[in-house]
Amino acid sequence: MSIRILPDHVINRIAAGEVVERPASVVKELVENAIDAGATRVEVATAGGGKSLIRISDNGCGIREPDLALAVERHCTSKLPEDDLSQIGTLGFRGEALASIGSVARLSILSRHAEEPHAWQIAVEGGRRSETVPASHSGGTQIEVRDLFFATPARLKFLRSDRAEATAITEAVKRLALAHPEIRFTLSGSDRTTLDLSAARGESGALERMAQILGAGFRDNAMPIGGEREGVLLSGYAGLPTFNRANSLQQFIFVNGRPLKDPVLAGALRAAYSDVLARDRYPVLALFIDLDPADVDVNVHPAKMEVRFRDPGMIRGLIIGTIRDALAREGFRSASTGGLATLDALRDRAAAGSFTRPPEPGTSPAWRSWADPAQTVAPDVSSAAYGASPEAEAPRPAMAEAGFAEALSAFAVLDRPSADARAHVQPAPEHLLARPLGAARAQIHENYIVAQTGDGLVIVDQHAAHERIVYERLKAGLEGRAVQRQMLLIPEVVELPEEDVGRLLARSDELAEIGLVVESFGPGAVAVTETPAILGRVDAPKLVRDIADDFAEWDASTRIRERLDHVAATMACHGSVRSGRRLRPEEMDALLREMEATPQSGQCNHGRPTYVELKLSDIERLFGRR
Amino acid sequence: MKVTIERANLLKALNHVHRVVERRNTIPILANVLLRAEGGDLFLKATDLDMEIVDRVPAMVEAAGATTVPAHMLYDIVRKLPDGSEISLETGEGGTMTLRAGRARFSLQMLPDADFPDLNAGDLPTSFTLPSPVLRRLIERTQFAISTEETRYYLNGIYFHVLGGERLRAVATDGHRLAKAEVEAPEGSAGMPGVIVPRKTVGEIQKLLEDPEGSVEVALSDSKIRITVGAVVLTSKLIDGTFPDYERVIPKANDKILTLTKADFERAVDRVSTVSSDRGRAVKLSLSEGRMVLVVNNPDSGSATDELAVDYEAEPIEIGFNSRYLLDIAGQLTSEDAVFKLADAGSPTLIQDQTAEGTEADALYVLMPMRV
Ligand SMILES: Nc1ncnc2c1ncn2[C@@H]1O[C@H](COP(=O)(O)OP(=O)(O)OP(=O)(O)O)[C@@H](O)[C@H]1O
Ligand SMILES: [Mg+2]
Repeated sequence: MSIRILPDHVINRIAAGEVVERPASVVKELVENAIDAGATRVEVATAGGGKSLIRISDNGCGIREPDLALAVERHCTSKLPEDDLSQIGTLGFRGEALASIGSVARLSILSRHAEEPHAWQIAVEGGRRSETVPASHSGGTQIEVRDLFFATPARLKFLRSDRAEATAITEAVKRLALAHPEIRFTLSGSDRTTLDLSAARGESGALERMAQILGAGFRDNAMPIGGEREGVLLSGYAGLPTFNRANSLQQFIFVNGRPLKDPVLAGALRAAYSDVLARDRYPVLALFIDLDPADVDVNVHPAKMEVRFRDPGMIRGLIIGTIRDALAREGFRSASTGGLATLDALRDRAAAGSFTRPPEPGTSPAWRSWADPAQTVAPDVSSAAYGASPEAEAPRPAMAEAGFAEALSAFAVLDRPSADARAHVQPAPEHLLARPLGAARAQIHENYIVAQTGDGLVIVDQHAAHERIVYERLKAGLEGRAVQRQMLLIPEVVELPEEDVGRLLARSDELAEIGLVVESFGPGAVAVTETPAILGRVDAPKLVRDIADDFAEWDASTRIRERLDHVAATMACHGSVRSGRRLRPEEMDALLREMEATPQSGQCNHGRPTYVELKLSDIERLFGRR
Repeated sequence: MKVTIERANLLKALNHVHRVVERRNTIPILANVLLRAEGGDLFLKATDLDMEIVDRVPAMVEAAGATTVPAHMLYDIVRKLPDGSEISLETGEGGTMTLRAGRARFSLQMLPDADFPDLNAGDLPTSFTLPSPVLRRLIERTQFAISTEETRYYLNGIYFHVLGGERLRAVATDGHRLAKAEVEAPEGSAGMPGVIVPRKTVGEIQKLLEDPEGSVEVALSDSKIRITVGAVVLTSKLIDGTFPDYERVIPKANDKILTLTKADFERAVDRVSTVSSDRGRAVKLSLSEGRMVLVVNNPDSGSATDELAVDYEAEPIEIGFNSRYLLDIAGQLTSEDAVFKLADAGSPTLIQDQTAEGTEADALYVLMPMRV
C-alpha cells in the first residue's frame, strides 16, 4: 500500500477523537470559549445526556462576520496574537475545539459582535460548512450542538447512559464555575433540575461560589489558604481534616484558572494532610495556583487536564507548606458539623426507634433508660442505619414524644452524672467560658470531658486529644535538633542506578542532618554507614531507594521525616493519658488549654475529631424549644 | 488407631511439639499435630514447613495407625484434664478422633495423615555430640544479637562454624552489635560446613536443653540441621545465605583499655537512661584517668549525669552508645569486672569478660557507637 495524505475530514475526525471524548468535553470546550470571550453570564442546556442537544449562550464579545467561517476551521484562533505558546493567558489556544465538534456533530453558531449591524449564523454538519447567513440575535454568542458523534457511530457506542453523561456535564460546569465566581452560570434542560449559580463578586465571592458547589457546610469547615513563593501564588480554601471524603471528587485545583486533574498536585495534597488524615480519606478543597504562563506548559494533554511546571518541586513545596501552615493555625478547630451530625444521629435514632418499636413503658430501650438513667444505652447502630431510610425521616407527631425520650436518654449521661463524674458545683469561671473550648465541668465514663462554653457545650475525647498533643510535642522536638545516629557495624551496600547515586551523594549533608549517612561505593552503589537511631533497625535499602525516588521526582525527600513522624505517633500513643484515667478539674482545664494552644489538635492522627461542640441553639432544637 | 496414654506423658510431648505450630495458618493441615501409634509408642510430630519436631512417648497401643488433629486444641484439652488421668485416643468413622479421660469426652476433627508434610532431612554427613549446657551457653551468649530485620535474612540466625578444626564458634549480629561465643570443637565436627540456624529454631533448641546433665546430638548438612535430645528430634532448614565476613569488624588494635565493675556500671547506665523516653537514646561516656562520667540528654524531659570510678589510663575520650545495647551486653557477661577496648568515638568497641592472665575470654561482644 502506498502512503498518502489523509483527506481533511478524516484528519479532523481523528483530531476530534482527542479533543471531544464525550458530551462533557464539548460542554467544557464551549464554556471555556464563553469565558475567554469575557462573558458574565453563561447558560448551558442539554438533553439526552448531551448526545441529542447541547446549547450554550453567553453575553461575551461575539464573533465578527468574517471570523465566523474561520472559527470552525482547524488551527484557527484569535487567542495567540503573538504566536507565543509560552504566554497563554486564555483557556483556549489551539483553535481546535469548534472544528473538532463540527466534524463529529451538527454544530450551529449564532453570534452578534457589537460592531456588526446584526447577528450572523453558520452551521457545520459532519465537517461540511454552510454559508454564513444574516440572522437575528440580541448579543453574544449561542452555540448549538445536536446529534453528537452522529458522524462517528463507533464513538457513540462507547458513551455511558444519558444519566452518567449528564452527571459528567454537571461536573464539568461546576469545575469551571468554581474558578469564575464573577460569572453567573445556569445549567438546565431535560437532563436535570436547573442549577443556577448566581454571580458572587468581591472578597467573599470565591468562598460563596464554593459553598454553592461544595455544599453549605464547606463555608464553616474551610480554612483560607494563602501563600506565595517565587512569584507563584496559591489561594483558595481547604477543608478541615475532619471534613473529609472517601474519594477525591471534591478536590479542585486550578492553574491560572484552568481546572486540572494532575497526579503531581494530588500527591502534594496527600502529603500536606498526611499526618492528620488516614490514607484513604480525602480533604475537600478548592485551590488556585496563579503563576507566570511562561513557567507552566499547558500544552501537554489533549483535554488540557494536566500541565507541566517548570519547577514542580517548588510548587509541591508551596502547596504542602501553605496547607500545613493553615492546618497549624486552624488545627484546633474540628468539623463544626460534629454537633449537627450528633443531632442528626440522635434524631434519626429517635425516628427509627419509634418506627420499629412503639414506646411501651418498660420494654422500649428509650423508656427503660429514661426511667433508669444508670443503665446506659449502647448506641443502636442498626436502628440508626434504619433511620437513614427515607420513610423514617419525618416522624409523625404522635411519635415525636418517643424521639424526645430517646434523644434525652443519650443525654442522660450529662443529666445524671455517672459514678465517675466530677461535676463542679461552683459556676464556671467567666474567663474560661470565653475560651474556644470553654470550662471543664465534668469527666464522664472516665474518658470524656464535658466543658461549658459561652454558647454551648463541648465534649472532648481525652485520650484522642492527649495523644495528639503529645504527638505534636514530639514532632516539634524532632524538628528542632539534629537526629541521633546509630553507626553500623557492617555498612549496608545498596545498589542503585548511577543517576540516583549521584543525586544521593550530592545531598549527603542534608541526609546526615536527618540521621542517614551514605557514602560512595563505586559507580552503581552507596554504602549506608549510619541510620537514625530512633528508627531502630530499619530496612535501610528500602529507605534509601525511596529517598532516591523522591529526589528524582521532587528534588527533595520527606521520607525520613515521615518515618520519624510515624515513630513520634507511635510513641505518642504510648505516652498519652489512656482513656479510663480520672482527671481532676484542674487537669481537665489544663488539657483544654493545651488543646487550644496545640496546632492541629482538633483531630487525632486519623482525622477523627478529638472533640465535638454543641451550640446552645442545637441543644434547644433537640428539646423542641426552637 | 487406638491408644491409651498417661496425661503427664502426653502433655510433656505436646509441650515440645505444639509450639512449632503457628497460630495462624493458611494451609489447614499445618495447624495439626500428627499422631502415629506403633509398637509400644505414640509418636507426635508438628511442623511449620521450615522446622519439625517429633517426640515419642510410651503408650498402650490397641490398634496401630495414624491421624492428625488440631494441635493447639489438643494441647489445651490435655492441659485442662486433671493430673493423673488416663487418656484414650481413638479414630472413628466420620472423620473425627475421640479423646476420653474419665467421664470427659471430646471429638476432634481429623485430617488425613498421608497429607502431613515431611521435611525430608536427607543425608546429614556431619554429626557430633555436646553436653546440653555447652550448646546452651553458645546460644544464650549470642541469641540477643540476632537481627529481626528481614531484608538481610542471612543475619536472622546464629552462624555456627568450626575454626581450624579446634573451636566451635557461634556468631550473631544485627548490624549494630555483634556477639561471638566459642567452645572447644567436639569430636566429629571437624569437616562441618558453616551454617546459619534460624531464630525460631534457635529458640526451640534452647528449650530442649534444660537438663544440666543431658547431652545433645547434632547432625547436619549444608541445608538442614537435626538436634536429638532424648526422644525428641528437631529437624530444621538452615538459612540459605552467606554470613558476612564478621572477623573484619572485630577490632584487633583497640588500645584504650577500660575495666570496670559490671554491676555498678549497669546500675549507672540504667539510672541515667531513666530520662530518655524513647528507644535508641544515647548515653555519652566521658572517660578520663580513673573516672567515667555518664550523661544522657533528652531535650524533651531533662538530662542526667552520673559518675563511676574505673580503671582507665589511656588518653581521655568521649563516646556514645545506645543505652539498651550496653545493658543487653552487660547482661551477657559473667565475670564481676567487664573489660572495654576502645579506639575512638567513631569505631567499634570491644566488650568482654575479665579473664585470668594469659587466657582468652570465651565470649566477645562488639558494639558500634552512636553519634551524639
Ligand atoms: N463563545 C464565543 N464567543 C466569542 N468568540 C468565540 C466563542 N467561541 C469561539 N470563539 C472564537 O472562535 C475561535 C475558535 O474557537 P475554538 O474553541 O475552536 O479555539 P480556541 O478556543 O481558540 O482554542 P482551543 O481549541 O484550545 O479551545 C476562538 O479563538 C474565538 O476567537
Ligand atoms: Mg476554545
